[in-house]
Amino acid sequence: MTSGAVSIRNVSKAFGAFKALDDVSLDIEPGEFLTLLGPSGSGKTTLLNVIAGFERPDAGSLLVDGVEFITRPPHKRDLGMVFQNYALFPHMDVFNNVAYPLKLRRVSSSSIRERVRQALDVVQMAHLSARRVTELSGGQKQRVALARAIVFEPKLLLMDEPLSALDKNLREHMQIELKRLHDRLGMTTVYVTHDQQEALTMSDRVAVLRSGKIVQLDTPKTIYDRPNCRFVASFMGETRMLPVRKAGNGYEFAGRQLKLAQPPSAGAEQWLVVRPERLGWHGHDERDNRIEGLVVDVVYRGDSHSIALKLPGDHEISIRHTPVQDHPLPEPGQTLTLWLTPQASVLVEETGA
Amino acid sequence: MSLKRLAIANLLGAATALLMASSAMAAGETLTISGFGGNLQKDLRATLWQPAADAAGVTLSEETQDGLASVRVQVQSGSPTWDIVHLGADECAVGGKEGLFEPLDYKVIKTDGFDKKAYGDHWIATNTYSVVLAWRTDVYKDKHPTSWKDFWDVKAFPGRRALSTYPQEMMEIALLGAGVSKDKLYPLDTKLSLEKLKEIKPDISVWWSSGAQSAQLLKDKEVDMMAIWGSRVASVIKDGAPVEFTYDNGILGYGCLAILKGSTHVAAAQKFIAGVVSPEIQARIPEMMPYYGPTNSLAFKVGKFSPEVLAKSNMSPENVAKQTFIDANWWRDNNELVREDYSLLISN
Amino acid sequence: MTTVAADLLPPNAGVLNAGLLGGDERRQRLAMFGLSVPALVLVALVLLVPFSWLAWLSFFDASGALSGENYARLLRPAYVNSFLSTLQVSAAVTAICILLGYPVAYLLSQLPQRVAQVLLVFIILPFWTSVLVRTYAWLVLLQREGVINTWLKQLGLISESLPLVNNLTGTIIGMVHVMLPFLILPLYSSMRAIDPVYLRAAANCGASPAQSFRQVFLPLSAPGLGAGAALTFVLCLGFYLTPALLGGGRVAMWSTQIADAVSKFANWGAASALSVALLVVTGIILWAMKWAVRRLGSSLGEG
Repeated sequence: MTSGAVSIRNVSKAFGAFKALDDVSLDIEPGEFLTLLGPSGSGKTTLLNVIAGFERPDAGSLLVDGVEFITRPPHKRDLGMVFQNYALFPHMDVFNNVAYPLKLRRVSSSSIRERVRQALDVVQMAHLSARRVTELSGGQKQRVALARAIVFEPKLLLMDEPLSALDKNLREHMQIELKRLHDRLGMTTVYVTHDQQEALTMSDRVAVLRSGKIVQLDTPKTIYDRPNCRFVASFMGETRMLPVRKAGNGYEFAGRQLKLAQPPSAGAEQWLVVRPERLGWHGHDERDNRIEGLVVDVVYRGDSHSIALKLPGDHEISIRHTPVQDHPLPEPGQTLTLWLTPQASVLVEETGA
Repeated sequence: MSLKRLAIANLLGAATALLMASSAMAAGETLTISGFGGNLQKDLRATLWQPAADAAGVTLSEETQDGLASVRVQVQSGSPTWDIVHLGADECAVGGKEGLFEPLDYKVIKTDGFDKKAYGDHWIATNTYSVVLAWRTDVYKDKHPTSWKDFWDVKAFPGRRALSTYPQEMMEIALLGAGVSKDKLYPLDTKLSLEKLKEIKPDISVWWSSGAQSAQLLKDKEVDMMAIWGSRVASVIKDGAPVEFTYDNGILGYGCLAILKGSTHVAAAQKFIAGVVSPEIQARIPEMMPYYGPTNSLAFKVGKFSPEVLAKSNMSPENVAKQTFIDANWWRDNNELVREDYSLLISN
Repeated sequence: MTTVAADLLPPNAGVLNAGLLGGDERRQRLAMFGLSVPALVLVALVLLVPFSWLAWLSFFDASGALSGENYARLLRPAYVNSFLSTLQVSAAVTAICILLGYPVAYLLSQLPQRVAQVLLVFIILPFWTSVLVRTYAWLVLLQREGVINTWLKQLGLISESLPLVNNLTGTIIGMVHVMLPFLILPLYSSMRAIDPVYLRAAANCGASPAQSFRQVFLPLSAPGLGAGAALTFVLCLGFYLTPALLGGGRVAMWSTQIADAVSKFANWGAASALSVALLVVTGIILWAMKWAVRRLGSSLGEG
């Protein structure tokens, strides 16, 4: 399947004074799994609804495989969509829910049976095809909704926070399944979520949105390792932003010159991105950056201890101490010295470049 | 002439003596009387009941009833809170047959001057009303209908007509329209009557079911001629509507009093009723309740009335001669079946 | 400690405090039942007792003897005719209410909540005036010299007054006016409860607006429609005032027969039999409607 290229050009949408989408442009490759990530109100769902045709933008263009879609009514767009609360038709059983898009396309009934069975097989729900949807669990509903979205083999699959209503274990399981399904079917997928973990796990590329604009569009690894601004950095993982001071050519933190692998941008206001898992227990003053903190709490967690650490500037961060660590377990009240390698020491500005 | 005067004087004397005697006996008792309520009850109290109660020396307390069903409930309870009830004539007849009432003591209650159809063993009529032919004078300018025959003559008198949804009086009217003479009405030839009603049915634009509705129909010119209660048409005319009516061929119905079985004031009630139907008190009706009439024809001998009052009263000797009394006993025995046929006829 | 306690228990007790806990549960159940007693008593007093009395009365004739006369009477032409016309009028009024009420309820359900609430007030407004007043208002509008006929004649559209009232037409107009809120309100609330996402989902599946309305919205609103229609129909069956005033005596409703049996003939037995027959038929119709609504919902879902 090679088609399914989406090209979004200068799309804007305002609700009164509120700009939901502010001149957004985005190209999605055929077969790509692209995630729109952002907090609520960032415009990610609005953008998805523009693609699906549920929201009419004030300006802009939407090309799908080179065809202008911007004024095409939703039922003529041939896109599969999985809704946040599944939106399975409560008056139809599982089979009829999945068969509905095919019936509308006037597929013969024998072919409908075959294709519905295949779609339900893909999501491992074939054995429940006669169930009423009200009798399904959340995860089962999710699978049926997915089957309904893919049964007519759309070029483009849209998903609006499809896992947000599931509990944590099921959600993590479904993330892997969705990823595998995408690898297997290869349809272009646009996925909306506010969960950075989900975005990093599943996507080929992630577009981070804020206030109706895309602030960073990149692979998950780049987004995580090289956030281009304070907003993106703080959105990923448990991150603390420590303000640094410009000193000469470089920057200093807590009175020490920072050793950096990559030259920072020229901005005056910069923050050091501190992620707990990047903090090393051992380091060298000549090579690495020293971070000192006050141990506030030590909590036993079975496989590890969780240590609450107060960093300079009143930032609290939680790091893990595992039994394999050759560093002794610190005690509350103690000052703990940790290390950041120059590669792990990333400075960001308030806004992206 | 002088003989007649003497007779009246004697009668008056006797009546006065009777009333005085009864007042002495019944002093202090309270009679509870239950009627239809509304203006009718107010008028009846002022005209008939209060003077009769005063004469009998009893205190009167009023209630309202909604038909024979409520009377039955009272009697079945064993100790009715009502003593006397004012009902329609056929209801009195039915109630009497069912044993809901005490027999009336016709040694106390005098029926001189009464039509034979106007009292029974257990009840006596106290006031009459007329069902008359009324028409819009703005529709029938040159010649107006004068009889029920004209009502049936849709060629000579085109126009919209109305009759009641209740068969009583309407069945009689249909027979009069068919040319049956008014003294040969009973027993009613129901077959002929229903045939005549069927014949006029296409020209009946409304079958009315309440007095207020019937008056409104005529006032609003919804219909051009109709059968209507005399008291109702009078109010329409009083309101200035171009309407006239005639007592010719009118049907006289009546309201009646009866004593509930189990009443603890039977003797006082007999005296009260005797007072209500006495000529002196009955003579109050023509002036106080025009378009209703006394059931005791002696009222017109006792009282002195102006020609205008006599012309209005449905029971003045001149007007009563034009009309015919309803037979409550016939209706008592035939009401239900006739009503079924009648309702089937009007709704199909 | 624990062994001592176990030793103290009688050998057949088996489990610690089993008897005590069982008794506690029974007491709690009894308390729960006790709480529902007022409701049960109320239901018995206002529903079961009067209806049983009614049913009991219906087996006695006017003289008080046990007989089937009251039911035999129902087969006589006047009653059969009245029964059929009651059903016909009720069905016609319900059908017209659906035709008029469904689009109104749909419009309201699609409007913003605040606007809809304002408009709903206009629908509920007639409840604040008595049915009698509203019915007389129709009389003023519809009669021969009434507002509508006068206007039509002045506009030269008609030369003779149209017979709009004192017949079946007037009855149905008046009844529809009274009944419409009873259809719209349950229908509206059920439509409000339909998540608009279902319509989006249908559109996404490829359904045109007409298709998604028929195949998704309509079946999902069917329970509300059924409830509204059943309510309207049942209220129509027992409706007395409007047919009596606007029917011109021609519309012989079952309720009129009941009223006559009581007020004109004081025949409780006959009235009871009429009421019991109405109740039974109403029950059958409600059951049939429920069944039909379920069929409608699922057949539209599969179609």
